[in-house]
Formats: sequence, structure tokens, C-alpha cells
Amino acid sequence: MAQKKYGMVIDLKRCVGCHTCAVACKLENNVPLGMFWNRIETIGGPHMDTPKGEYPYLEMSHLPLACQHCENAPCVKVCPVGATYKAEDGRTLIDYERCIGCRYCMSACPYNVRVFNWQEPKKIPSHDVGSADTPQRKRGVVEKCSMCEQRTNKGELPFCVESCPQRARHFGDLNDPTSEVSRLIRERKAERLLEDKGTKPQVYYIR
Amino acid sequence: MPRKRIINAWTVTLGILAVIGIGAWIYQLTQGLVVTGMNNIVSWGLYITSFMFFVGLSAGGLIVSSSATVFNIKQFKPVAKPAVLLSTVCIIAAALLIVVDLGTPERMLNLLLHPQFNSPLIWDVIVITVYLVISLLYLYHMTRPNPNEKSIKILSSVALPVAILVHSVTAWIFGLQIARPTWHSALMAPLFVASALDSGLALLLVVIVALNKFRLFNVPKSLISTLAGLLSVFIAVDAFFVFSEVLTALFPAEERLMAYINQMLTGSLAPFFWGEVILGALIPFMILIFRKNRENMTLVVLSSVLVVMGVFFKRIWLLFSSMLLPLLDYAPGVTLGKYNLPVSFRTGREVVPNIWATLGSYTPSWVEITIVLGVIALITLLYTLGAYVLFTPKQEEHSHTQGGEGHATQSHAY
Repeated sequence: MAQKKYGMVIDLKRCVGCHTCAVACKLENNVPLGMFWNRIETIGGPHMDTPKGEYPYLEMSHLPLACQHCENAPCVKVCPVGATYKAEDGRTLIDYERCIGCRYCMSACPYNVRVFNWQEPKKIPSHDVGSADTPQRKRGVVEKCSMCEQRTNKGELPFCVESCPQRARHFGDLNDPTSEVSRLIRERKAERLLEDKGTKPQVYYIR
Repeated sequence: MPRKRIINAWTVTLGILAVIGIGAWIYQLTQGLVVTGMNNIVSWGLYITSFMFFVGLSAGGLIVSSSATVFNIKQFKPVAKPAVLLSTVCIIAAALLIVVDLGTPERMLNLLLHPQFNSPLIWDVIVITVYLVISLLYLYHMTRPNPNEKSIKILSSVALPVAILVHSVTAWIFGLQIARPTWHSALMAPLFVASALDSGLALLLVVIVALNKFRLFNVPKSLISTLAGLLSVFIAVDAFFVFSEVLTALFPAEERLMAYINQMLTGSLAPFFWGEVILGALIPFMILIFRKNRENMTLVVLSSVLVVMGVFFKRIWLLFSSMLLPLLDYAPGVTLGKYNLPVSFRTGREVVPNIWATLGSYTPSWVEITIVLGVIALITLLYTLGAYVLFTPKQEEHSHTQGGEGHATQSHAY
């Protein structure tokens, strides 16, 4: 078996913009207040959940947006201390103990999915949430989606995939032609974001 | 007497400003970068702007002074000492500005322990360190009682390419980023070197006129006029690069790129863009192309100050033109990352702070401004002390302590 390359396929035809995955991510990964690792964008309108176009020709669609786990990751290239790295299984991960907080990766990311702990991580109520082995992050480091490393390392699904009520999210090995994600990419018209930037995201969208 | 008093007052003021700056940094260390104006969209701000600016100021002075030795331009040699000292203190400022920008400065050693040589930031760490060492060596060799011409020649031959490289690498930190449309350009490094040349030389002119005034160092007026002429050429080169860069972006009128360019031409960055074009390039160029004006020290200083200011403006529009607009600009946008309950929380009027934005905005906080001013004060202080110690010949200093002040450097004509 070839090396694993984890990826995700998000079926935008199924997505209803309910924000469940965003909230699930925030809980599982103990993401502090003021930031999201996974957020739901509304395509077209000026505000959240506003449609595109003019009445009666309205159209509303959503775009869940988190780290794209690019194969050709600009953030990995610029990190001066190797805190951001490509894991063996193709995920783009951060070593939170090594990050020096220079935020070069945030400048390098075309998707604006990296968030920084500008202040002491704030939570209401103040205790930690999520899995027991969710990585801890402190003030002054960059953080982002890890495809729930604490879960996927144990063979579980990322929490956003598991919690999506519409079953719009799929997770699997892109190198395995028999996996569900590979099948979806093959059979449906799968696109990637900002493909012209050549970053080769491992998150695919089906429109 | 007044000269001495002015120098003392100047030194004390700088010392106080530097201490205030350090205080502000300590405050930032206790609170985190939340006390700055930066957020998840505009994730770099005044610190990185000033960092670019100081690398440029540093490189410019050294390029001029080392080419004097490398190309044996005897005429320029007198400015070598003040120029190298200027380069040294400016590169120290640049390094300090990187340190204050870090989220976890206590892990700074990771740069040495786990360097990732793919990163332009590591290239910059290496080249800045080399540059600082060379500047110090250069300075040491030049200010020895009997300078060894050969070692100065060798050092300057190394210093010249390193000076060009130090600013090119700084340009590549930005220019190699595919995610940032207004940075991602092959012209970035030449553009940075051009701005280094004009801003660095302009600052050097201001400094040597000041040194002359306070009799800390003597540079013939004719040389200042010649350097001012060179400055006008550098301004033209810089303006040419900017024009070429903007035209290349503007002509295809590609929609996305136009959104970025319009911020500079008509949007929130317009005061800085047009400020640079008019105040930083056009006016000083129009002043300095006339020989008569170049002989007038007031006009030379005025033009130089305008050039330095113009290049600072350029750093601002360059950095922020790419940072304000996320490439994916869907609503509700990006989470800003700061969360502080408003005072009205208890009264129930505004329950939660807004954490979203589709468009970046940034205003430097008082902490950022104070720290940057502190850094500037610190290096100016270093320069003043350096000038006092290094440029005053030993025997004269001796007589100076014996026979009162005021004449210490008058006969100094290196």
C-alpha cells in the first residue's frame, strides 16, 4: 500500500449551512473565543446567510472553510522553525510547542484559515473542552485545523465529518483508489479552492 | 557650551524614550500581541513595516560607503565611517523589530535550534547576522588608529554584496508569496534595493549634516552636494521601478488584482501611495536635480527627510496592499482572533463582540508606536554614543578632557 494522503471531500449540494461542523470543530478542538478553525462562508451575499442575486432570482449556497491541507503548502515552506510541517499521512500539522509566533504562515496562506492566539486563550465557561488528548495551545502561537489529529490518529473520523447532519463531509485516503473520497472525486465534479495558486489542496468541493 | 548642552539633552531624551519603549515591550509581553492593532486578517503591522524600512536604511548606507572602497571612488571615502556606523545601528533596529513582533519571543532560540532552510525568514536571519558581523568588523578596522587598508578593502568587497543581499532577502520574504497578489512579483528585490539606496543615502545625508553641525565629524560640503546629486539619480531609479510595477498590474485590469491596486490608487492606502510619489519622489527630485539647490544644505536636508518619509510610506502601502483583502472574500469572512467582552456586556445592549470581518483594517496601537519609537530612540542613542567615541581621535579626546570642550573635533578631517 502506498503512503497515505488524507483528504476531505465536501459535498456543497448537500450542505445546508447549518454551522454544525463549525461548532463541532470548535468544541472538539477546544478553540478559544474569537476564532474558528472551521467556518461557514455564504457565497454571494454581503452577510452571513444572505443570498446572491436579486429577487426573484435568488440563490444561496455555503462554503465550509478550514485548512485545505495543501500538498504544495505555502505555510510549510515559509515556517522558519519547521513548526508547520507535512505529516507522513499528508496532513498539514503544527507543532504548538515549537511555533515562535512570527505569523509568516498566516501571510503565506491564500485561504486565511490560520488563526493566532493574540491573547491568553479565552473560554466561557473557562475550562477546556474536547477530547482529553486535544493538543494544548498557549498565547502567541498560530493554530488551525488538523483534521482532528487526536481522533484520526486513532482511526476515528474528524469530528466535523462525524457530526455533519447532512452527511456532506467525507474523510479518507486520497491515495487509495477504493476509498470513498477517491470515488467521489472520480465520479462527481470535484473542485479545489484557488486552484490557480497551485497549492494542490487536499480538500475537495463538489458543487 | 550650548553644543555640549544640546548633545547632553539629546542623549538624555533618547535614553528616556528608549526606556519608555522597553516598558511598553514589557507590557506587551505580559498581555500578548492583543495590545497591538493586528488581527487575523492584518497579521503583520507596524513592526514588520518598520523592519523592512530599517533593513533598507541599513543596506543603503553601506552600499554607498563600501562601493567607495570597492570601486576606489576616493571622493566618497570620508563618509565611510558615519555610513558604516549608520548601517550597523539600523540593522540592529531591524533585528529588534523582528523580536518584538514574535508571539513567543522566549522561543526565539528555535531559530537556531530548528532552522528550516527553506524559509526566507531563515535566510534573513542568516544574512542579517552576517551583515551585522561584517559591519562591526568593518567599523572596527576603520576606526583603529592605523587603519589597515587591505583588510578594509577585503571587508568592503564582502560588505557590498551582502548589503545588496540583505535587502533582497527581505524583499523575498514578501515577493515569494503566491497568496499575496501585490507582493508576488519578480521586481520586488530590485525595488527593495532601489528604495534602500535612496532612503539609506538620504538618511546618511541628514546624519552627516547633523554631525557637521555638532562638530562630531567633518564632511566637506562639496561631497554632500555630490551625494545629493547621486540621491536624485537613486530617487529616479526607485520611481521608475514603482511605475513599472504599478503599470504592469494596472494595464491588464484583471478584476481581482485591480481590487488590490485600487486600495493604493484611490482607497485607504492612497495617502501613502500618492504621498510617496509626490512628497517622497517628485518634490525631492525636482529640488535635487538643480546644482544650486544641492549646494544649499537646508534644501538637501529637506529633500533627504522627504525621501526617507516617502520610503516609509512605500513600506506601508506595500505591506498593507496585500494584507487588507482576503483572497476568499465571502461573508461573514475571517475570524479576527481577539475576544474582549465589551463594557456594555453587563447592561445587555451588546452581548458579544463582533469577531468577523470580510475586509481587513489596522491602526497601530499606542503600544506598537511606543515600542517602535523606543527602538528608534535606542539606535539613535547608539549612533550618538558611537559617533562620540569612534569619530573623536584619541589624542584630541585627551586634550578635550584637559582643556574644555568645543574644539575636540574641529581639526578632524579624515
